[in-house]
Amino acid sequence: MRIRMIKKTLVDGSDCPKCAEATRYLESRGLWDRIDEVVWAKEDDPSSPGMVEAARLGVDRAPFFVVDADGREDVYTSVLQLVRERLGRTVSVAERAQDIDADDVGGI
Amino acid sequence: MALDLDTIAARAAQLAGRDPRDILQIALDEYAPSVAISFSGAEDVALIDMAASIGRPFQIFSLDTGRLHPETYRFLDTVRDRYGIPIDVYFPQPDAVERLVREKGLFSFYRDGHKECCGIRKVEPLVRALAPLAAWITGQRQDQSPGTRAAIPVIQIDRTFGTPDRPLVKFNPLARWTSQQVWAYIRAHDVPYNPLHDRGFVSIGCEPCTRPVNPGQHEREGRWWWEEETRKECGLHAGNVEAQAAR
Repeated sequence: MRIRMIKKTLVDGSDCPKCAEATRYLESRGLWDRIDEVVWAKEDDPSSPGMVEAARLGVDRAPFFVVDADGREDVYTSVLQLVRERLGRTVSVAERAQDIDADDVGGI
Repeated sequence: MALDLDTIAARAAQLAGRDPRDILQIALDEYAPSVAISFSGAEDVALIDMAASIGRPFQIFSLDTGRLHPETYRFLDTVRDRYGIPIDVYFPQPDAVERLVREKGLFSFYRDGHKECCGIRKVEPLVRALAPLAAWITGQRQDQSPGTRAAIPVIQIDRTFGTPDRPLVKFNPLARWTSQQVWAYIRAHDVPYNPLHDRGFVSIGCEPCTRPVNPGQHEREGRWWWEEETRKECGLHAGNVEAQAAR
């Protein structure tokens, strides 16, 4: 299994806020070394590898993760889903709640 | 009884043009008593009126984040009295709210974004509200957000809160209705509504995170308006790149 994390860098060179948050989370769980490669999507360069990857996979928000395993390619837009389903760690209800955007749920 | 999960997408497509009351009827027929209406205290009150007209018992739940407008709290009781049905109100876990406020103050969402606060005050209580249910009913509509809700079906498998072991079905009876249709229903049936709507509020949530919008503005502009920049910052649309380049 090989995991790529697509991160977006802003014009000033910093990570986008959500990418920085996901990185901190992986580090805090001791899982950062499970990310095999970081692919950069540069804000000012649509031809940067991460931007091309986002367009190819139809993903519109950073960060996201691509897991290559057994000849399959799976995309995860949630770091917690990746942690739970591919890295074999449990995720608490509170953590799960933090990962869900109320704006995406609707009806609440 | 319950719907066949393998054919829900096809069923949703088949029912897409049906009246919301028909969708509600299916929800209640197939899932009662393990189904509830999620009531936000806004114009989704139309769903409650429709469900009451069907004549079958149904449940309502709402989430009290602790930060709702006073008008919304009063409106919850107005609805309870009007329809003679209890509303199960879920509250956030006190220790989580206390920790957030102690560490970051009462308005951290303006600085850090709404997700952390919503996770504690809305999403975690919602997880608890949905835990005993096989299905839930929301007032989501396609016209609420052209970006994220344009494709909402009238019935869907809820993969956010359900799991393969415990599937959850989400009914969105109003999905294909416009805001105008909802308001026409509210007026035609003399349905009580949140007085905030008369003051320009279209989308109603927590008091610090909701504002009135002007005619012509989209209703989502009344929610978390300060975060638009963050959304752009994390977006991967080529259009964003072009917009940046043009600045």
